[in-house]
Amino acid sequence: MTPSHEIETRLRETAEQLLREKRVDLFLGYEKASLPFRTTPLFLTCPQEVERLAWNPFCAANLAVYLPRLFKAPADARQAKDAPPPPTVGVVLKGCDTRSVVALIQERQVPRDKLVLVGVACPGMVDRRKAERALGEHVALGAGEDAQGNVHAVVEDGTEVALPREQILASACLECRSPTPSIHDALLGEPVEAKDPQAARRQTAEFGAKALAARWAHLRQTLSKCIRCNACRQACPMCYCKECLLDQTRPRWLGAGTDISDVTIYHLVRACHMAGRCTECGACVRACPMGIDTRLLVRKLNQEVEDLYGYRPGEAIDATPPLSAFAMDDPQDFLTEP
Amino acid sequence: MTEKTIAHTDLETFLDRLRAAGVVYAPAEDEAGDVALTEVSPTEPVVLEYSNFHLSPKGFFLPQNQTLLCFKDGKAAEPSPPDQETFLFGVRPCDARALLALDQVFLDGEQSDPYYARLRATTTVIALACTRPMPSCFCTSVGGGPGDGAGADILAVGLEADLLLRAQSPKGEDLLSSVADLLADVPCGAVERAEERVRVAEEQIAPVRVDNSAQRLRDAYDSPLWEAASQKCLACGTCSFLCPTCHCFDITDEARGSRGRRVRTWDCCAYPLFTLHASGHNPRPTPKERWRQRIMHKFRYAVENLDRLFCVGCGRCIRNCPVSMDLRSVLKEVGA
Repeated sequence: MTPSHEIETRLRETAEQLLREKRVDLFLGYEKASLPFRTTPLFLTCPQEVERLAWNPFCAANLAVYLPRLFKAPADARQAKDAPPPPTVGVVLKGCDTRSVVALIQERQVPRDKLVLVGVACPGMVDRRKAERALGEHVALGAGEDAQGNVHAVVEDGTEVALPREQILASACLECRSPTPSIHDALLGEPVEAKDPQAARRQTAEFGAKALAARWAHLRQTLSKCIRCNACRQACPMCYCKECLLDQTRPRWLGAGTDISDVTIYHLVRACHMAGRCTECGACVRACPMGIDTRLLVRKLNQEVEDLYGYRPGEAIDATPPLSAFAMDDPQDFLTEP
Repeated sequence: MTEKTIAHTDLETFLDRLRAAGVVYAPAEDEAGDVALTEVSPTEPVVLEYSNFHLSPKGFFLPQNQTLLCFKDGKAAEPSPPDQETFLFGVRPCDARALLALDQVFLDGEQSDPYYARLRATTTVIALACTRPMPSCFCTSVGGGPGDGAGADILAVGLEADLLLRAQSPKGEDLLSSVADLLADVPCGAVERAEERVRVAEEQIAPVRVDNSAQRLRDAYDSPLWEAASQKCLACGTCSFLCPTCHCFDITDEARGSRGRRVRTWDCCAYPLFTLHASGHNPRPTPKERWRQRIMHKFRYAVENLDRLFCVGCGRCIRNCPVSMDLRSVLKEVGA
């Protein structure tokens, strides 16, 4: 595992060069946030400011979410004529984030030739909630990583607490099948070994083994916590629709509140739209203020797509997403007579 | 102002008395291990040491979904008003203080909102002084503090063997006199010990500069900083929905044929739809205007119009923002 500070140094050099040589207009990365166990996205345009860029085990956000809006054409034709040319954007991407960008390129939401992909081989990111919980009664005032890659927190009485990585890494990272970016224009860090693909199936297998009534009860109970803040949708790089079906008012497809039927529809619609597109980066889970594991349903759908079509989203730009294409020999034994 | 103490051992009896009069919500651990305001059963242990709840208690007064009326074949009827008392025990002072802000919006004389007024009148708030502030807390900079009782009916301060109870409203006075047999006179030194506990908590809270924020924000209206600050906002509603003072709402009709209901739901100024006109025009077309509105509403418009900051420094928006935006740094950057 390449130490984070080495990657950070190389990242700053790379960004400085890209901005100075005007190969990018904008560089997207992370900077230190005001609270421990986090970073906040950084939009850099000036090579003199690259020292703000950070790389540490808290760079969890999937920055691909910002890309579609940077290339979105104005809806109004007259405005489109006068619009400035699209920017060239450099962006820091972990393995999972790269897969989101691949899917966005496939879906023609971002142009490959306007992107400089700075990939980082990712050893996994800290789940801030796990870290906060691991501290128990203590409140972290600061957090960092030592040369061996162990995470330490400084708590309110000034003492330092070591937190074992496996205990505080995000679930998505503990099951990651693609920690090293598959495509990139620059790659930082030694490639990281992928986890056993079966690990990512454990959650859905356990869920699937339950009786139908128990599965429904579990979903209802989990979703009843939802406050419909839309954070899962907004944090998702693949949710880029100009107008979301769930926001439409004419007609209004579902109620605006937290009636359990509306909440259920919200999550079912999102899961269905993500089938064969979700790269399982975990952005929705991280964003949810209520701690709902929003990935469960879509992971199941993704596995069905993989089993039926041998396709994993975000692997190769020239691959055709199966749900966007038709072939005569498509499997169809799941179809049932009405 | 009545001031009494109650022994920790009598707290259960106290809550039982409240249960006889209505529904009681008190701090208890949920299945995820977080302490939340829960409708506790008499056998469930009440937690007194906790950092603030994940959700603010504003939903008790302004429910996220509220049926305003039901209609059928051209006739409308209001749903029956709440007929029982609700007691909230253990609300933190920041969240109690937020009720004063909501009162100014919803209980403004002729414009009073009957739905809010009813829930406010039938709910008793017993605040518990905060002993576990978090790094995101800044109540002391926005007029409150860990031992502030404003907005509550009773303020409780935890001591070693008992709680110091201080009535903050006529309702609180009545409640204390109704349980007088459980209460003791304040022993010598208890007030000082309570003050000391509050002071220890106060010292853990870092100050944020908000003085003269209205004037400074007025000057910063066209600042390029809004564009920079809003760039990373994802336009989700986490900050508003968790905020104890955010109160903007939407009203929609949910109808099936000629019958249905009119429902009020929370809304959020970060949403593109929030100010979208029927014509298609949107006066706040980009995240820049929306983000500016959020800050301006809390730290400028509310001050100019209602003479109150609409922020109680609970820090929920800071702790829960998916991209770790911090309103304190934005305030600092715009010189507010």
